[in-house]
Amino acid sequence: MTAPFLVKDAPLPYCKGCGHGLVLRAIGEALESLRLPPAEVAMVTDIGCVGLADALFASPHTVHTTHGRSTAFATGMALAESVLGAGRLKPIVMIGDGGAMIGINHLVNAALLNADVTVVVHNNFLFGMTGGQNSAFSPEEFITATTPAGNAVPPLDLARVLLASRATFVARKITSDRDLAGVIARAIAHPGFAVVEVLELCTGFATKWNPLTGAQLKQVAADAGYELGVMREESRPMFGEAYRTRSRESGASGSAETAAAERDRTARYTAEMRTAQRLVLAGTAGERVQTAATLLAQAAMLCGLEVTQKNDYPVTQGTGFSVSEVILSPEDILFTGIEEPDAVLVVSGDGAKELEKSGVLARVTKATLVLADTGVPLPELPCTIQRFPFRGAAGPRSAALAGVAQWLDLTAALPKDALWAALEARFPGEAENTKAGLEKMLGTA
Amino acid sequence: MAPRSGPIGDCRELVSGNRMVARGAMAAGCRFFSGYPITPSSEIYQTMMEELPRPEHAGLALAAPDEISALACCVGASMAGHKAMTATSGPGWCLMIETLQYALMTETPVVIAVVQRLGPSTGGATQGAQGDVLLTQFCTSGGYTIPVFAPSNARECFELTRSAFAWSERLRTPVVLLSDKEVGMTLESVDTAALERRPVPERAAFSGTGRYVPYACDGMEEPPPFAPVGGNAKVVATGSAHDREGKLRKNSPEVIELLVHLQTKIAAHAEEMALVEMDLQEGADTLVVSYGTTARAAREAVNRRRAAEQRVSFLKLMTLFPVASAAITHAAEGCRRVVVAEENLTGLYASAMQPLVGNRELLRVNGIGNQISPARIVEALERAQ
Repeated sequence: MTAPFLVKDAPLPYCKGCGHGLVLRAIGEALESLRLPPAEVAMVTDIGCVGLADALFASPHTVHTTHGRSTAFATGMALAESVLGAGRLKPIVMIGDGGAMIGINHLVNAALLNADVTVVVHNNFLFGMTGGQNSAFSPEEFITATTPAGNAVPPLDLARVLLASRATFVARKITSDRDLAGVIARAIAHPGFAVVEVLELCTGFATKWNPLTGAQLKQVAADAGYELGVMREESRPMFGEAYRTRSRESGASGSAETAAAERDRTARYTAEMRTAQRLVLAGTAGERVQTAATLLAQAAMLCGLEVTQKNDYPVTQGTGFSVSEVILSPEDILFTGIEEPDAVLVVSGDGAKELEKSGVLARVTKATLVLADTGVPLPELPCTIQRFPFRGAAGPRSAALAGVAQWLDLTAALPKDALWAALEARFPGEAENTKAGLEKMLGTA
Repeated sequence: MAPRSGPIGDCRELVSGNRMVARGAMAAGCRFFSGYPITPSSEIYQTMMEELPRPEHAGLALAAPDEISALACCVGASMAGHKAMTATSGPGWCLMIETLQYALMTETPVVIAVVQRLGPSTGGATQGAQGDVLLTQFCTSGGYTIPVFAPSNARECFELTRSAFAWSERLRTPVVLLSDKEVGMTLESVDTAALERRPVPERAAFSGTGRYVPYACDGMEEPPPFAPVGGNAKVVATGSAHDREGKLRKNSPEVIELLVHLQTKIAAHAEEMALVEMDLQEGADTLVVSYGTTARAAREAVNRRRAAEQRVSFLKLMTLFPVASAAITHAAEGCRRVVVAEENLTGLYASAMQPLVGNRELLRVNGIGNQISPARIVEALERAQ
């Protein structure tokens, strides 16, 4: 025996004749008829008069949420339960027309996901609790507190929005429909997202200001072009099922986070580095500038050094400049920016322009080593600019790496073998060729 | 310093702070993530989407249609008993605030990683900032304290995300992991083998005997025992001011007591939550305080001034809220001056610290649109000397 869903004979906190009481009773009847264990039902209520319903439920869980967001909370609950739990929880959202509009995103999303959530929209054409203001659901010419001369805007057809959002169960009913509880029961029993919009009277405001009675609700629907009844009832996999299938498949491919290949277990090379080296690499987006910086960083890590790497690129990502700042240090690295660079490697005009614009070139000192591609224009600097045919010798996509190799060749900051090892780990297929090309360049430089 | 060679750890990786937030969350036992893309936090979202479904985590990562949905879904999942997190930046954080208040009021644990940057969504997406520090704090109606942890490097991203989960679960309250673009997006060498990987303890659960009274606490300093929505005990959760039963009530002494309890439980654990790194120097007349990315520049500045024979104390804050009052007061003892370095225009955290500074000089080193360099802090210290 399960406890009844609704508190027996509870006085309703609603105005006389308000549709909310009728819908509440229909939901209660629907739940009793389905014989669901109450522990597997969560009544998720929105704000407004409809949100007063929590206290009227005796046995299921009740969750009273914020304005318009009830469906999002319910979606989280349902999805978590379907993937991480036993998959038995059915959240039932009770929301008004105001909440349905401000939270329409959440309804659309739950419908698209086919989350196992039932939404009952209590559409009384206005905001009741706050004093009878018009909503997106107010019929044309409707008098409300905020449309004293009659509403000029046609009402939203939510059911059609949700049909277009691939909802698998969509119905629109009127409070007086004899099969209201039956349709709500069908919606709750439906596996996946179900919405029942119920047209009802607000006797606090709507019927005071408009010549509206229960008998006229059908006409209101007709005037708004609303279809009534069950508009769709079909089946589609719920998000939780689809998710479980896909995660099983992706699990088989192994975790990138735990892949041993990504990890550097031991320092295999030795670097005679006594103070930190701060480098700026600049080139063109898409030409592996950041990759070259990462390979340098990884090479330094293979020597047991600490590293940081900061990348910068335009908002558009794929065009314009690409700049990486790398710090290599025998000690823990504190400030990750570069006040005075030890080396600046410039392999394209885009890179040079950005370094000038961002002020990096202004921070170049006499002690800075500037290595630039032969064709890249640079302003006069306090140090000598050393020119190399990075682009010509290595090609645009290896020019930055050529700069790195050249810097290592000049400074012996790290053994080049560490760079080749990092290259081999990252690009096993092409490392040999790239390395041969770069060594040839270094040999002729 | 001798050149370093040979193994220094067993498992070093080149990894970003963002990725370490995601890993810290998974290590803490996070099973549910719901996200929405925004630079500079997107990598957390993306990492969770890739990693959380894998068998070793067996979690659920969800693409939300907006930031309000992202946090609301997390709160829903947490109510069903699963550790949950979302990640965003300032513009998304603004949208999440009401839902955060709801988590606070319903005593629902949830972690929000906020990776700071400039401006609204049209602002400086790829420019770092520490400008949301008070927005994470003073965003509740009622003056409640949201615990805020601020990492300054990739390792701390991992560790403090675990701390965020631990306190969120322990006190059943929303907790913010406040990172920034520089910390989040910079790649660093990290000895990942040395990290603590034990899941954080689960929130204290209802024993299952007797009737469940959802907001009945055992003392005002502890959260009520938890029962999941969907479990056998009937849960009544509400964002309205409520009594122990979860019934909407106004102004009754019981309701007021519960409203105060939401703060009492945080305040009672403030000292335990305070994570700082303190390096005090005897005879120092200046204390430098900083957090997040700027703490690294501040530390470097302090090192430089000490090399130049200035006596300077240093305090890095990893817990921003509740304010680590005891640590700050202790560190400032004997100092005439407190320098607070942070990357926002007016010294937001400095104003939160001001009451602790007393009649000492409070010097703010601020900036916007660029990382604060050690040189700028050094300059301030030289001038103050």
